Amino acid sequence: MKKTTHFGFKDVATEDKQGMVRSIFDSVASKYNLMNDVLSFGTHRLWKHYTIATSNVKVGDKVLDIAGGTGDLARAFKKKVGYSGQVVLSDINAAMLSEGRKNLINNGTTDVQFVQLNGEQIPFVSGSFDCVSIAFGLRNVTDKDQCIREMYRILKPGGCLLILEFSKTDIVLLEKCYDFYSFNVMPQLGKIIANDEDSYQYLAESIRKHPNQEILKQMVLDAGFGACEYHNLSGGIVALHKGIKI
Amino acid sequence: MKYIILQRALNYLFEVHQIDTQLLDGKVIYFSLQDLPIKVNFVCTNERIFVTNNTDATSDVNIKLHLSSFLALIRGQSLAELLRQDKIIIHGDIKTAQLLVDLLQQIEFDFEEELSKYTGDAVAYKVGKIMKKFKSSDNSSTSIKDKITKFIIAPKLFH
Repeated sequence: MKKTTHFGFKDVATEDKQGMVRSIFDSVASKYNLMNDVLSFGTHRLWKHYTIATSNVKVGDKVLDIAGGTGDLARAFKKKVGYSGQVVLSDINAAMLSEGRKNLINNGTTDVQFVQLNGEQIPFVSGSFDCVSIAFGLRNVTDKDQCIREMYRILKPGGCLLILEFSKTDIVLLEKCYDFYSFNVMPQLGKIIANDEDSYQYLAESIRKHPNQEILKQMVLDAGFGACEYHNLSGGIVALHKGIKI
Repeated sequence: MKYIILQRALNYLFEVHQIDTQLLDGKVIYFSLQDLPIKVNFVCTNERIFVTNNTDATSDVNIKLHLSSFLALIRGQSLAELLRQDKIIIHGDIKTAQLLVDLLQQIEFDFEEELSKYTGDAVAYKVGKIMKKFKSSDNSSTSIKDKITKFIIAPKLFH
């Protein structure tokens, strides 16, 4: 019997999910930044700013940004690590990586390396990074535990993992408004702006299937991190998990 | 947000004063200021200090004290003396606690110098001067309270 996993609310064969996610991001890549701004009313910039502020990254550090999409985090990390540091922007999707490269060049950020990689099999030696981040990418990974274990492996002792991801709010009224917005407004905006309703329907569904704050925290601890904490942002609509490899 | 500010401030001060935190590498220190809502873990690793709110994690040492005792420690009072006076509670590895105190005592915070980076020398000097005047005069918070009380009760006598 074939192993299955979730793709939004659908069950699909495990080996098919990666290709399905890839086709979604191929479809939305060129409008990704614009859609992020529209759908989050620009708030995604504040969430990312908070992530950078909490990272404790210093001049000279090595940082890997996984599923780095359009390069927002990589750009901010580059400013922090300076010329003596190194930032690697990675994504499984070539179209997204190409958008990221374009954005960084347009913003005058140079000296960032680009690597197309799968978060479940990271092609770097163990203990090579001071910080690894993944923003709004983990929920699209087929084997999340394997991805977290890989991030743990490539971190130096004392390295910091940052997972910024949609999560669960426990404010009832906010949850109701958010559900209405996610399932009724977001797909329609996707249809109007990016001419792609299905991808934004998937976005709403994949958020609901993603582990909640406590479960994800336990996954991080199970991967070997000595400490993990999370910060709820915008009432828990988004959570930042921070793991430290002690 | 307060954890981020504390983390940034600590790391900034250690970096500026070139204080080596390696002796504390791998240590987790639970730190609680009992008269303020501050209960944090300091995770010392990779030549930096992470400040986390996840205080359920296992720590090497637990330090509980009041703000006044903390300030006394930073100003150079000995840890042993405060322990003797029961002004600080320590559970766990006291050597780690002493190392943290040693590091904190190495920080010499020059307010004017730090402020001048943002405001320029002239403004920082003036602010510093006002603060020194405020400190040296009898304008302690108690005397301000006294003056306000006098002003409310007998405004004519206030002048």
